Order: sequence, then C-alpha cells, then structure tokens
Amino acid sequence: MIRLENITKYYPSRIGKQYIFKDLSFDIPSGHNIGILGSNGAGKSTLFRLLAGSEYPNKGQIITDLSLSWPVALTTGIHQQMTGRENTRFIGKVNGIADIDEYERRVIKFAELGKKFDLPVNTYSSGMKPRLAFACSIGIDFDVYLIDEVTSVGDAKFRRKAKEALLERSEKANVIMVSHEMDEIRQFCDSAIVLHKGELTFYNDLEQGIAQYQAL
Amino acid sequence: MTTVIKRNKWEIWRDVIFALLAREIRTGFNDKFGIAWAVVQPVIFIFVLSFLRGRIGGDETHTIPTFTFMAIGLLFIQGFLQTMGASAKAISKNKALFAFRQVQPISAVLAGALFEVLVKIFVIIGIIILMYFMGIDLQISNPLLFLACFLLLWIFAVSLGLLFGIAELFVKEIGKVRELLTRPLFFISGVFFSLQDFPREYWHFLDWNPILHAIELTRYAVYSTYGSEGLSLEYLSGTVLAFSFFSLAVYHISWKQAISR
Repeated sequence: MIRLENITKYYPSRIGKQYIFKDLSFDIPSGHNIGILGSNGAGKSTLFRLLAGSEYPNKGQIITDLSLSWPVALTTGIHQQMTGRENTRFIGKVNGIADIDEYERRVIKFAELGKKFDLPVNTYSSGMKPRLAFACSIGIDFDVYLIDEVTSVGDAKFRRKAKEALLERSEKANVIMVSHEMDEIRQFCDSAIVLHKGELTFYNDLEQGIAQYQAL
Repeated sequence: MTTVIKRNKWEIWRDVIFALLAREIRTGFNDKFGIAWAVVQPVIFIFVLSFLRGRIGGDETHTIPTFTFMAIGLLFIQGFLQTMGASAKAISKNKALFAFRQVQPISAVLAGALFEVLVKIFVIIGIIILMYFMGIDLQISNPLLFLACFLLLWIFAVSLGLLFGIAELFVKEIGKVRELLTRPLFFISGVFFSLQDFPREYWHFLDWNPILHAIELTRYAVYSTYGSEGLSLEYLSGTVLAFSFFSLAVYHISWKQAISR
C-alpha cells in the first residue's frame, strides 16, 4: 500500500500558485495493476513524480514500504551522448544493483538493440529509446513499476514483450501506469484511479473506471 | 536475478557520486580532443601568460621566479572560478537525473567539483613538467600549507557554487549575475600582483578577499622568502568554514523544494 498523507502540491507561476493537490489523503492499494486516468493537466505526471520521489510535495508525506521504480518516461535518465551500455550501467549503479553485468545482460536481452547497444543513444530511432528506458527499469526487481506512456510508442512486438515481462513478475510486482490510450490501459491494468480536480477515486473494476473517466 | 542491495545513505551517496563522476568524464568533452583539452587548454593559457609576464616584468617577483608567481595565481583563480561554475551548473545540468530518488543535487555538485580537482591535478603536473624543462627552480618549502590552501579554496568554491546552484533553481537569472560578479575576481585576487605591491594603508581594499589570502599564502608556502605579511590562514579558514556552513544550511532546508518546481 502506498499512503498519501495530506499532500499539498502546487507550482508557482506568474498568476499565483497553481494547485495540483490540496490536502489530499489517499491509499493506493497494492496487488492491483492500476491505470491512472485523467484529462490533460489533471496532475497524472505530478502524482507519478511524487510517488517516485523525483519531486516532493509542498506539504504532507508519502509513506510506503514498497520499492518503487523511477517514473519510466520516454528517456528519463538516459544521456543522449552515452551509449546504451553506458546508460545501462549508470542506471544500475545509481539504483544499487548487486550484479551489474547480469543486469546488463538482462537489459540487452530485453531491449533487442543489437549492435546499436554500443552506439550513442542519439543515433537511436524514436522507437528504440523507450525500449532501452523500459528495459532498464524492468531489469530491476521493483515492487511497483511506474510507467508513463512508454509502451505506447513501441510496436506490437515490444508491447507484447513488455506485457509478458510484467505478467511474469505479476505475483510479486505491479504496475501503475499513465496513458491516454484506453487499449493500452486495458492491456496492462485491471483497475483504475480516476484523477479529477485534485481528487482521486479508486475503481476496482477497470471498465467502471474508464466509463467514469469518459463521462467526465 | 538482479537484486538491489540494501545500502545505507553514505553508500548510496558514494555510488551515485562515483557514477556521476564517470558520466562527467565520459560526456564532458565529446569532440576529438576529448578530455585532454580540459588539461591542455589551461596549461597553455597559464604557460603563455606566465612566460610573457616573466619576459616583461623581469625574472623575479618578490624573491620568487615570476613564472612561478604567475602560475600559482592563475592556477588558483582558474581553479576557483571553474570549480564554482561547475558546481553551480551541475545542479541544473543534471536536473533530469533527480528523477532517480537516489540522485540528490549535492551529489551532482560534488561530482562536478571532484572532476575539477582531477583536472587541476593534471594541470599542476603539466605545469611542473614545463617548469622542469624551462630550468625553473622546483621547490616547495611548506607542502602542508600548499595543500591546505588548495583544499580551502576548493571548499570555498564548492560552497559558493552550491549556494548559487540552489538559488538558480529558484531564480534562473542569478546565473547571469554570478558570471558578472565573478569576473572582477580575476583582477582583484592577487593573480597579477602581490599584496606587498600596495601601500599598507590601502590593504583593506584588497585583504577582505579570501581568494587573495589563498593565492598569496600558497606563494609563501612554495618560497618562504616571499613572506606572509598581512596574510592570515585563520581568516581564510574562518571565512571558508562560515560560507560552507551557511551554504549547507541553505541546501538542507531548500533542496527538496528547489527540485520540485
């Protein structure tokens, strides 16, 4: 379970504080693959970054004993001028992987970049970068993977592979993901959290959540 | 299985700083000159300026070879300015990496500053080799004082860099102010002159500047005949201690909000 306690989060702007969440308390249950649904600017990515510890709320705290991944977006933490291998090792080192060589092999196997693994990331096609990013995160055993629209750019084969990898891990690990494509959400998730006007609502049944979201 | 090791705070810091340092070394210079340029460029710069000054101003300045006099001044002021700039910029440059909760701004600052130390060590070696071939007397009468000055100046640069780096996350324009403020330091820190060149009644215009103390004390550390009148290691270390305390305090209370904007 991930517990949000009295979270207040705003971004300062020219026209005053832009509140995303005001005094929000919520428990995100474990054991579900959750899709976060919300319109543009509702704060999905902010919620993600707060959960991952990439950002901190202005007030309140997030309590969990689960290990969460970083928010895996298209190129988070990937340096364009370093090779795939160097990026992988960097991420492994930062996350404290015991056996970096083993981790590297796992990423190679999943990302299927072939020889390009030893070329700088800026030579990759737009479909290859997220493959590397996703492989780097799935290569580490987290309890919860935070996936931010990465899978949507991949081709069908990559999506299938991502799905299999997450299923394989599903006994121990879950995914929380953000996407605007309902098909993708349906593919990976079984329940939903609808984010609307700074309030979160959990729906055990994904379809119910989607219906609610589309009615907004 | 790729298990994640349970690490304590310090081990995470160590791993992250090391990873960032490796990344810095790898990506800092991405052209054909590569990282060698980071060493060659300052060595040439210091050599040319010191050599010319020696030609114009005579072989000796206050009992020490003019080349040595200039080389110390230039090396230290460059070291200070570049370390401070690198520390300040490290935060905004690595902003994307703060997505990993293990990476904190101060790790990026320390990695950037350590990189500068590595570069400066090679620059010092380069200068010493040049001095050897030019037949300039190589001696050092108080190595401990030399190291102390080098270290204190480095800590001073990192503290100021950290302070500016955090401030720049709140107000971006502070970066421009920093560049403007640091420019005169090149001319008022005793790089081209000695405190002894000025009449005693004007010293108070110059001796508030800890960098001047560091540079002049280093010259004294190399040649004890240079003298240390008007200089104070206590003043230097006191200022550095005060600034590092202040900047760490500011960092401690504000880093979470600074990266959450």
